[in-house]
Amino acid sequence: MLDWIKNINKEYPDFWKRYLSKFEKKSNRFVVISAETTGLSLEKDVIVSLGAFAIINNSIVIRDSFETVIAQYKFFHENGISNEFTIETKMKKMGEYEAIQALVEFIGNAVLVGHHIDFDVEMINVALERLDCGRLKNEALDIDVMHRKLLDINNKQFSLEELCKIYKIPVSDRNSSSEDAYKIALLFLKLKSRLGLN
Amino acid sequence: MNTIAEHIADFLKKYPPFDNLTFQELTEISLSIRVINLEKHKVLFQINDALHDSFYVVASGVINLSVIADAEETLLNKCYEGDIFGLRPFFAKNNYMMTAKAREETIIYAIPIATFRPFVANNSDVLDFLLHSFASNTSNPSDKENTRGSLISDNVYYSEQQSEIQYFQSLTYNVTPIISTASSIIQEVAQLMTNALSTSAVVCENTFPVGIVTNTDMCAKIATGRIPISSTVDKIMSSPVVTVVENVSLAEAQLLMLKYNVTHLCVTQDGTDKSAVKGVISEHDLIVAQASNPGVLIKEIKRSQNPKDLKSIRERLTELIQKSIHKNIPLSHVNNLASEINLAIIKRSVELSILDLGSPPARFAWLCIGSQGRKEQLLTTDQDSILIFEDVTADKYRDVKDYFLKLGKRTTSILEKIGYEPCPYGHMGSNMLWCKSLTDWTNQYNSWMNTPGENSNELSSIFFDFEIVIGEKKIEEAIENVVYNNLRNNTLFFDFLGNDALKRNSPLTFFKKFNVEEKGPNKDKFDIKTKALMPLIDGARLFSLSHSMRGINNTYLRFKQLAMADPKNSEVYLNCAKAFLILSKYRTMEGLKNDSSGQYINLLELSKADKEIIKSALAPMDELEDLIKNKFQLTQFS
Repeated sequence: MLDWIKNINKEYPDFWKRYLSKFEKKSNRFVVISAETTGLSLEKDVIVSLGAFAIINNSIVIRDSFETVIAQYKFFHENGISNEFTIETKMKKMGEYEAIQALVEFIGNAVLVGHHIDFDVEMINVALERLDCGRLKNEALDIDVMHRKLLDINNKQFSLEELCKIYKIPVSDRNSSSEDAYKIALLFLKLKSRLGLN
Repeated sequence: MNTIAEHIADFLKKYPPFDNLTFQELTEISLSIRVINLEKHKVLFQINDALHDSFYVVASGVINLSVIADAEETLLNKCYEGDIFGLRPFFAKNNYMMTAKAREETIIYAIPIATFRPFVANNSDVLDFLLHSFASNTSNPSDKENTRGSLISDNVYYSEQQSEIQYFQSLTYNVTPIISTASSIIQEVAQLMTNALSTSAVVCENTFPVGIVTNTDMCAKIATGRIPISSTVDKIMSSPVVTVVENVSLAEAQLLMLKYNVTHLCVTQDGTDKSAVKGVISEHDLIVAQASNPGVLIKEIKRSQNPKDLKSIRERLTELIQKSIHKNIPLSHVNNLASEINLAIIKRSVELSILDLGSPPARFAWLCIGSQGRKEQLLTTDQDSILIFEDVTADKYRDVKDYFLKLGKRTTSILEKIGYEPCPYGHMGSNMLWCKSLTDWTNQYNSWMNTPGENSNELSSIFFDFEIVIGEKKIEEAIENVVYNNLRNNTLFFDFLGNDALKRNSPLTFFKKFNVEEKGPNKDKFDIKTKALMPLIDGARLFSLSHSMRGINNTYLRFKQLAMADPKNSEVYLNCAKAFLILSKYRTMEGLKNDSSGQYINLLELSKADKEIIKSALAPMDELEDLIKNKFQLTQFS
């Protein structure tokens, strides 16, 4: 309860200070993020990969993207999970510190978009805490909430697969957070125009 | 590495022209792609939009390419998954000539031209594919069994065979380029270019071209301060010059410009830089050659020196109109085109008169009124115009008025020589009455609008359709303001116009037969102008004035606009808009057939089907009439 007192004189890492200073301006950039985690527990589980795309002027900018696999060797070792994928993947690998720092730098003051984004943001916040940083300050939009708002449904949640089916997003056989982020980005563009948010 | 970029590269690889590129290259292209989602019926670009910096590939969904003539949409082609469209920015610099619209929810990839251009220049297969497709306006050449095209030209005005001819036509270009030597001073060359309105100067040694200086060089190397303006031309010229033989075709010229990434080609005797310079082809020449004939006509109008030149241009315009109508190009388009050219001719006529008389002693505006003011003049009908000059001190007044009367007379006589009949009612800038100072005109409009019917019997409603031809725009605006200020709560004026609109005889008799002329030279012919078109024109004017719509003078557009402003009656307005187009088309065809103004239609020459079409186009007039009667209490003058 008195946590904030503990933090009052705490010195944040430089990247975090830079991040905070970006919020002086408002952003017209949206960043779609998708985090792959080992499970649903905020305490026990960790992020294993991250994918993100920027949306500017209603179009997905392919070059303005971010993806990485996070090497969680320690976690895998402690939980007796195979490290095989992390070792064999051709994707860029980073340690958790590096990855979270790079992600924070990538998103800046953009509005975040995701599927059940609260959980992703919380996972990132937990990771940030380990780096002695504060919590993400970005506004966040959830495509599931947008979808339910569009159809006025309150009693049901939709998975990403279900949403893709409803909005006829082509499903691909490959699965990665980057792939998910791209699908979410397409869903977001469709929902955005349907809800008339322009 | 970027997973999604690779997926996109995988996708592109399946379709031409991307199948000519390596996966590496495609990934690089994919990185700069923007992904856009278009909801159903969303328009990506439309005719006359400025060019985008990208062209597009359909990722999923369907895009319709069409020519929209406001009323109807003529579908040119449909683009499905993998199809390319919007190539125009590659080859031309003028605006889009078609509309791209999503037929269903569609995802497209936008590929920046700047990214793709190097691949085009380095890969002749890709270039050929793009060029061929752009040139021939037919389906994807590698895909013949498949009837749908993967690639569409953005040139729509030519039919298929013609476009190929057009594409391989020879170019007209500047045959007297500015020649300078390597040791000329930059400033002098720039002055020469400015004087000659040229965008380039060829640098020669012993009549052989060694380099070329263009506007781009001037901008990039001088204006930026990198090289002082007093140094010699060889410091900034592009060298060696890209040279071509005489009689180069449009296609070839375009190809070379693309290949060498230049904006100018130097024409030499044998096509090498070791022979004498014959001329310079600029990018602009290519545009003129492609933008079909109207552009050329306008260019020629601007250069013509006497009424005879203008007359021949006017005759070619008639030909163009005839062809366009024959090819079923929507009439509202033809209208726009013709009125722009007409406007240019009238403007040039005024300019020629000014050249003769010396520059005007005061600012003025020459306004077209009537059909040209409404941009509906397809045939050489009579000329209607007014001249307004700015207020001058009393002592100068006589001289100034004298000058402008002369200007009016000279211009109308030039126009007469070109083939525009003088107005039988004398509504011309050469008439004492219609060549006045701004104050006099303001009073004139005030008295017309506030006391219509009294001592101003000459009020003709055509004075409320005007369009500036040449002169001071502010004067036109001033008159416009006078008109719109007088409109407020002016029931008397609307009453007058309403009665004016309704006083014409009905086009059909009680027995639904055409109400033909009973006597005179046009006995038994149907007066389509006064009995069918005028009521629609008057009605459109009346309503758009009462809605205070500014800047729309065209009958067709007025109805369209009214349908939006007054949704309750939108159906009536839209019917009228359609009817107007149909009726003007018949009038124009009649006029072209007989070289007349097309006012009287010879019913004997019409087929039964045509007569029925005309009759049904007359139906919306009754509804319009009822609307007028309902809206305006027409008591004072009836």
